[in-house]
Amino acid sequence: MTNHWNDLKNSDCILAIGCNPAENHPISFKWIEAAMEKGGTLIAVDPRFTRTASKADIYARIRPGTDIAFLGGLINYALQNNLVHKEYVSEYTNASFIVNEQFGFKEGMFSDWDDRKKTYDMTKWRYAVDGSGKAQRDPTLKDPRSVYQLLKKHYSRYDVDTVCRVTGTNKDDYITVAKAFCGTGRPDRAGTILYAMGITQSTHGVQNVRAVAVLQMLLGNIGIPGGGVNALRGESNVQGSTDYGLLFHTLPAYMASPEYMDVSLAAYSARYFPKSSEPKSTNWWQNGNKYMVSLLKAWWGENAKAENEFCYNYLPKRSGNYSYIPIINKMAEGRLEGLVCMGMNPAVGGPNSLKAREGLGKLKWLVTADLWETETSIFWKRPGVNPKDIKTEVFMLPAASSVEKEGSISNSGRWAQWRYAAVEPPGEAKSDLWILDRFHHRLKELYKKEGGELPEAITKVAWDYGTGHEPDVHRVAKEINGYFTRDTTIKDRDTVLEFKAGEQVPAFALLQDDGSTLSGCWIYCGSYTKDGNLMARRDPADHPSGLGLHPGWAWCWPANRRILYNRASVNKAGRPFNPNRPILAWNSATKKWEGDVPDGGAPPIDDEKGAYPFIMNFEGVGRLYALNMKDGPFPEHYEPAESPAKNLLSKVQNNPLIKIPQNISVDMAKYPYIGTTYRVTEHWQAGAMTRSLPWLVELVPDMFVEMSETLANSKGIKNGDRVRVTTRRGSIEAYALVTTRLKPFLVQGKIIEEVGMPWHFGYSGSAKGDSANVLTSDDYLSPNSSIPEYKAFLCNIEKGGNHA
Amino acid sequence: MTEKKDYSNQRTFLIDLTRCTGCRGCQVACKQWNQLEAEKTTFFEGEGYQNPPAMSEHTFTKIKFRDYQRHGYNEFAFYKEMCMHCNDPACASVCPVGAFLKTPEGPVIYKPERCIGCRFCMIACPFGVPKYQWSKTFPFVVKCTGCYSRVKEGLIPACAKACPSAISYGSRSDMIREAKSRLQARPDKYFNRVYGMEEAGGTSVLYLSELPFLELGFRKVTARPLPSYTWAALRLVPAVFLTMGGSLAFISWLTHRKERLRREQEERNVREHGKEGQ
Repeated sequence: MTNHWNDLKNSDCILAIGCNPAENHPISFKWIEAAMEKGGTLIAVDPRFTRTASKADIYARIRPGTDIAFLGGLINYALQNNLVHKEYVSEYTNASFIVNEQFGFKEGMFSDWDDRKKTYDMTKWRYAVDGSGKAQRDPTLKDPRSVYQLLKKHYSRYDVDTVCRVTGTNKDDYITVAKAFCGTGRPDRAGTILYAMGITQSTHGVQNVRAVAVLQMLLGNIGIPGGGVNALRGESNVQGSTDYGLLFHTLPAYMASPEYMDVSLAAYSARYFPKSSEPKSTNWWQNGNKYMVSLLKAWWGENAKAENEFCYNYLPKRSGNYSYIPIINKMAEGRLEGLVCMGMNPAVGGPNSLKAREGLGKLKWLVTADLWETETSIFWKRPGVNPKDIKTEVFMLPAASSVEKEGSISNSGRWAQWRYAAVEPPGEAKSDLWILDRFHHRLKELYKKEGGELPEAITKVAWDYGTGHEPDVHRVAKEINGYFTRDTTIKDRDTVLEFKAGEQVPAFALLQDDGSTLSGCWIYCGSYTKDGNLMARRDPADHPSGLGLHPGWAWCWPANRRILYNRASVNKAGRPFNPNRPILAWNSATKKWEGDVPDGGAPPIDDEKGAYPFIMNFEGVGRLYALNMKDGPFPEHYEPAESPAKNLLSKVQNNPLIKIPQNISVDMAKYPYIGTTYRVTEHWQAGAMTRSLPWLVELVPDMFVEMSETLANSKGIKNGDRVRVTTRRGSIEAYALVTTRLKPFLVQGKIIEEVGMPWHFGYSGSAKGDSANVLTSDDYLSPNSSIPEYKAFLCNIEKGGNHA
Repeated sequence: MTEKKDYSNQRTFLIDLTRCTGCRGCQVACKQWNQLEAEKTTFFEGEGYQNPPAMSEHTFTKIKFRDYQRHGYNEFAFYKEMCMHCNDPACASVCPVGAFLKTPEGPVIYKPERCIGCRFCMIACPFGVPKYQWSKTFPFVVKCTGCYSRVKEGLIPACAKACPSAISYGSRSDMIREAKSRLQARPDKYFNRVYGMEEAGGTSVLYLSELPFLELGFRKVTARPLPSYTWAALRLVPAVFLTMGGSLAFISWLTHRKERLRREQEERNVREHGKEGQ
């Protein structure tokens, strides 16, 4: 989140799209209720009438996969009805930037499309630059080549009538939503957009989020209390896991993981840490090299020296897409020797479950670390399979649960909250830290003894978390924060700071690129300093503004800054746009910011040393027009890969960058209904954590699918009947829940029904049921993130467990 | 029991259904605190995701779902079914062995050691709360205890503690004041009534709702305290017992006295006549 949970109470209008906070974040939902108590409006946009919709002031139905049409329509509504925050847009976004002549958009395609490589030539999208390399600008926003005018032109095609024909939303409902949400463009109104997997799990998932960001920038909602672009994270520490670089394409703190062409640290830095010629742009990533060097020092310690580029050579270099689906595909082809699944259940959680389960049987060995047996760890004795036919050696490591170990969990709002172990783990269950520590030590010994490919990459790793039975998690946390490797003197503006070797680095601004500092994750620098473990703080007091900052409760990254981009909440003189919700204000007498930790300590723009608020972009301003998205600078609606409708916005049916395998085409006669998946409050993800707890099983004991009354009637299905749902990938059986909360969509004159289902079930645990992901596809991935399109597919349904 | 008691300090729940998301945290917290068994369920029973089918010896509280359309708009509503901890509980009034007790703190508790399993309370309760232990050889009636074991120690009930926002807990006067202020501040948001203010003479569980209570499925319950229906007759029992019994006993004594005096006279006659005959 750019903001955080408690901040939601400050919002005047909350748009929940592609998410279901009442069901999936029931406790945090109280902050949304707090906003509503104060007169705030909750809008729920969802294919079904969920428990969130039941609490919302406004509900609008949307056909799965049409979010860009919906959001694009809001963008157009705001632009056409003059509801944008003008000062914010012209000063804090790239609205005024001129785009070079070669950029264009015609009939659904951006320029220039290389049909051989099947990609766009993104160099055609650059800004028009002047002699010094700076982007040309038109502060009046009237130049037809300005981002603002290009944006307006692009979304002029998203008029309300067209949008509603695409999304299936009732026109009156849509206009109610538009009026309510676009009304937050006023400087004294704050609108926030909440989103989750309904937005991200799509072949245009990243562009969905871009559309959210564009709308929020136009309305001046980023950086203000009650505003923001707010992802509701789905696992309790998924925020932490992405922060620490567990995604294949990032290193800790979201630095890119190097590819084979990044042959040296210097080449890597030149590629990823841009220089900016804009004097008023802080361009924070220009400091990236300091964080990279500090990371390498954390990993290879004394072995990492300036002479060897700090052991940059030891970092693995990617030569492809190593995301989840390619791994499963490789496994399914028998080209993977072994797999380690820590708290991950590919047999249920990933798309095309049948392929994943088959594929597990081709491994030589599998290691799982879980609290219970999962469908993955017992794949070899799943229903319909003879264990004698499977040669995989399976090791099940019992893992400690979150209450049985000490450490931090980072929530959606970036707050890292430290927790203690309440009880000892049962039997031989161990913490993940213990498991990884043992892996490391054993591997190191093997490499030392037997050698192998580049053994030094492992044997020279600095790994010192104590000599006790359980590795000391505090030492891990301190290393993540970082410390000085030698006595160091730093000149910080007018003061000279002195640090001793081994002292904790107090803030990431002091990390160095000469090897004098190490830090395991620069955005967490400042979390564990000489003042102690700031993540363990529990001071409930709020900041005097009463805006829910609670600066002394735990610690959030970066630098305990609660609202990102908060310098966009003030005007160029540093006065808050909304004096009633002053998250930040510039005191011109003391020359200091007051309020939240300012996002970039530079003074406001009017000051001679002032800087723009979007410090992580090299331009210093927010991007309405994005240079680095593979499928286009502006989000554009395309239909999901499996769709019942033709694209009404252009002649191009699907996102040109998704690779739809040649032999696949979906027969609408065979699969006439829209399928989608979601979660319920009572179960957790793939169900391993909840389907063996009797009190939860009592609430939701069986796999079910939800459908409309009209679909049920047409198939002779009654509530509680057994039904079978089928797609190209597979077929499952479930109970039918017939309800008016799902209704068919009117799509281009046709009635298209919808079938929805939770994906929590599997063949392990005490409550068993068929897995929804047997139906979903692994063929269509988002070109930017490789995320599968779980939320919109085509299926058929029959009564009585018969194959459709 | 006709004198007006002051219930203003009794511990009371205020359940604002406009905040309830049907998450069932309260249901699970209750099971955990009371160590109740999970029931064997299949699919769902009733509307929405409702489970288990009914309150029972294993289920002291349950969230009921309503999934319907109202004037063409969807309504998906949830409400917490539980013991109402009435001010003047019918169960306590009818129990022949005094197994129910309205505690001074508010919860109506139940002493299983006194229960004879007659199930009179089940008939008397207008909310259908006490449930019978059909599964046991020596069955008793069981119900929500109002978490008296917690309340006695200054803690709040498990369901109230688990609930993120809908359940408030405090003195009855505070909860009534809060309910009224919400109705006044947002009349567009609420159905203009507090359920439990007057039902059965007033209960320790008060509800606010957006939808009409009867439409949701709440029971229509008289405002008269249930015991007051039988109190008219019952309160005369001691007096009747004493006066009728006493009078009859006196008449019996009088009648038997006459007979006794006559017998005593006869015995004296026999003794005197016996002595002279020699």
